[in-house]
Amino acid sequence: MNNMLNISSSPHARDKWSTAYIMRMVLLALLPATLVGVIHYGFHALLVILVSVATAVLCEFLFDKLCHKPDTWKDCSAVVTGLLLALCLSPSVPLHLPVLGSMFAILVAKCCFGGLGKNFINPALAGRCFLLISFGSAMSSFTPDAVSSATPVALLLTGEQVNVTRMFLGTTNGVIGSSALALLVGGLFLWAFDFIHGEICFSVLGMFTLVIGLFGGQGFDPHFLLAHISGGGVLMAAFFMATDYVTSPATPLGQLVYGMLIGLLGGIFRLFSGTADSFSYCVITGNLFVPLIDHYIISKPFAYRRLARARQLSAGGQPWYKRIPRPVIVLTLTAAIAGLALSGVYAVTKKPIEDQKRAAQAASYKAVLPNASSFETVEAADKAIADLNGAVYGTGFGRVKINEVFAALDENGDPAGHAVSVTSSDGFDGDVTLAVGIDPDDAVSGISFTQLNETPGMGMRVDEDEFKGQFIGRSVSKFTLNKAGGSTAEDEIDSVSGASTTSGAVVNAVNAALDFYKNIVKGGA
Amino acid sequence: MRDTFRGGVHPAGRKELSRDVPLREFLPTGEMVFPLSQHIGKPAKPIVKKGDAVLVGQRIAEADGFVSAHIYSSCSGTVKGIEKRRTLMGAMADCIVVDNDGQFTQVEGIGQREDVSGLTNGDLLFRVQNAGIVGLGGAGFPTHVKLQPKDPSAIRYVIANGAECEPYLTCNDQLMRSQADAIVEGLELVLRLFPNAEGVIAIENNKPEAIAAMQKAASGKSRVRVLPLKTKYPQGGERSLIQVIAGVDFPISKLPADVGCVVDNVGTLYAIQRAVVYNEPLFKQVFTLTGDAAANPGNWIVRDGASFAELLEASGGLKSGVELKKALVGGPMMGIALGSLDVPIQKQNNGLTLMVEDANEIAEQQMTACLRCGRCATVCPVGLLPQPMSDAATKGDYDRFENKLYGLECIQCGSCTFACPAKRPLMQIFKEAKSEILARKRAAAAGGNK
Repeated sequence: MNNMLNISSSPHARDKWSTAYIMRMVLLALLPATLVGVIHYGFHALLVILVSVATAVLCEFLFDKLCHKPDTWKDCSAVVTGLLLALCLSPSVPLHLPVLGSMFAILVAKCCFGGLGKNFINPALAGRCFLLISFGSAMSSFTPDAVSSATPVALLLTGEQVNVTRMFLGTTNGVIGSSALALLVGGLFLWAFDFIHGEICFSVLGMFTLVIGLFGGQGFDPHFLLAHISGGGVLMAAFFMATDYVTSPATPLGQLVYGMLIGLLGGIFRLFSGTADSFSYCVITGNLFVPLIDHYIISKPFAYRRLARARQLSAGGQPWYKRIPRPVIVLTLTAAIAGLALSGVYAVTKKPIEDQKRAAQAASYKAVLPNASSFETVEAADKAIADLNGAVYGTGFGRVKINEVFAALDENGDPAGHAVSVTSSDGFDGDVTLAVGIDPDDAVSGISFTQLNETPGMGMRVDEDEFKGQFIGRSVSKFTLNKAGGSTAEDEIDSVSGASTTSGAVVNAVNAALDFYKNIVKGGA
Repeated sequence: MRDTFRGGVHPAGRKELSRDVPLREFLPTGEMVFPLSQHIGKPAKPIVKKGDAVLVGQRIAEADGFVSAHIYSSCSGTVKGIEKRRTLMGAMADCIVVDNDGQFTQVEGIGQREDVSGLTNGDLLFRVQNAGIVGLGGAGFPTHVKLQPKDPSAIRYVIANGAECEPYLTCNDQLMRSQADAIVEGLELVLRLFPNAEGVIAIENNKPEAIAAMQKAASGKSRVRVLPLKTKYPQGGERSLIQVIAGVDFPISKLPADVGCVVDNVGTLYAIQRAVVYNEPLFKQVFTLTGDAAANPGNWIVRDGASFAELLEASGGLKSGVELKKALVGGPMMGIALGSLDVPIQKQNNGLTLMVEDANEIAEQQMTACLRCGRCATVCPVGLLPQPMSDAATKGDYDRFENKLYGLECIQCGSCTFACPAKRPLMQIFKEAKSEILARKRAAAAGGNK
């Protein structure tokens, strides 16, 4: 023995698991969703995926080269990021979107923070949120058959019926990776083989379901809950995004807390934010809490866990329910208490909020009917609204609902026109609600917004007199939107430049109000 | 009762290389080297000098204090001197060197069966201490110390550790198959010291022949039972066994006796039986020579003081055409890597695993950043959080490492390092952090005494 043998500390054996192995397994788990997406949405979807993945890998490769760092693109983590991002995009996005999204994900969210294992938020979601903020309309247009229509969750949010079976299979409008069944198969595979922590995915789903069930207005109706879970990236977030190792807590208890936080936020955003994209923001918010959770939630070694020791001492065939870890029990109770507290707050604040809304509504009616001094209900209109039961009114007005109609009286008690409150869900960013005043001569006397959350400087400009004023004094059966501007005709309305979506929603809403007035209020009188 | 502990890993067992090879006695011919420190505690003091003639079973060094152990010669011959020699830890240490005459002439009175039913507990302990027995599971803690806890009546379990969870090693398997009755007798001798204890022989279920043999030997013995366990590393760790059998775990500052347990390796129990009943001190033990580089993997009865190189040669050497990359005393999970095979076999050594590849070398090349996947925490048999621990240790935040994350509780089983997909040397980091913290504590204590 002349040569010294290798010396090193034990252990002298290693498991077959490696970083690349885990990443390959995640890719395998994403395969079903990818396949369904490509088959259903066609060639362009495949192109989006390929562009996204290629950009991600190339960015990581170039970053490593330029910064003289060891090559890391081979560990497949960039492929996973690129694929996850692509699966969260609409199949009809222009191809520069996946390029920019992947670049942001890899270069900004991942590499700039130190690369693999150091990013503080999920890179794929960071890329997606970057695109959502920068290219809102392209990101939320889902036009697989060149027919623009809403995603199931957008419909669900307006209280409409959706086809859960189609949602579950993924043969509906949505992002490329929208097949709930395929995501579920992949996710359960990862969980069953210990690639992801069940504490995270099931607490996200559990908490989300709880919130939707408690506050969704339809109780724990399985059909309704399944529709919510199947859409809007909930499964994608629960199984593939929230479970990202780097941006989730280290302890099982921390993971439960984190998962429940995401589920809670997801439920709240889903029900009250009015957008279908909210889950990305929930997971990112959860990511931001991880350092805090990890700092405070530290599990003790077995020898220091008092309860566990006591339970072990009384060992011997104990029933399964005694083996439920204490954190699970504590967290279930916490969730139940938090849920009850939330519903309490909701119940208490519900009336004041409605009163306030009503006051704002009343003020807006006065604003649109200058001569009015008091209002009375219109029986025929109330009946028609009750018959509609929250459904979309008429055809050709988009997703428009009639909220209420009042007949106005002037100081002398003579008729002073009618006020119609109408909501369009076709706004650029959620619902647009407005009151339309119609004078006794059937001309529009004014419009006033009671709910408007559009883009400042663009969609919000519909509230300026330059746009609103166009309606006043005109008596037509239907307005048309002129996107080019410079209208001369009586029934033409110039769009706010750069905000044709919002302008269109307003015109449709006014048209619906006029139609309802003409056919129901006057027709019934 | 559960059949396993929480956590743990499943390294490739590779026991098929040697599991069915019966024990053979290895009689060395070369020079014999006996390090004075083969056990935990103070080194023994030599009682022979250069030129003295010694026989097999003759005491050549005496325990220095209670936590120490006698050392016996395993050959007959002449003392060449007391010299600095390289030992398996890699450093030079004081050793008694004996010129082996190859005759193996024994001291008289060894090997005669004696009726020991009349022995008192004191006699029994004296014989164990006298024989220089140390824990043969690997650590080498003097056995007579372990057998004298503060309150013997509080001991509920005497656990015979036949788990042999370390990959590759099979000598305890063979020992249990061939000496089942002797092991049970050794266990019963120990049980005499602990009136309220039950004897549990714990064996991983990958050794069905050993389980059957031990069950046969234990049948009809009211205080002894055999417990088959799930095959999982580190099943044979003291604390894993106690978790399963007594249902408790305890902090590293405590001893098994504090939770009513005494754990002895089956090899140790066999040595106890030999010492008490046959008056034979500890100078030989079972040993597995194995690994993918060994031409003839097998199980041996080896004599302390012989060199690993000579044993390898006697077994048939290396497999032709392979390069020996790494030689491990013990198995791959807890073994000590030898720089050279020319070092003496010590009392507590139970195997030599010859590897054709160095997993650590490969792992270093494959290392990536930590993914925070949490596998390390899942496999940790004591419930630690290796990932935050390694963060704290590499940042030098020893306060968090020790006080928030219980870093000193690490038993250095290596499961986290084994499982880490990013191939990070977690346990090695903890080992360094632990010794740094303990060194600082010692320094602080020394400063306080001035």
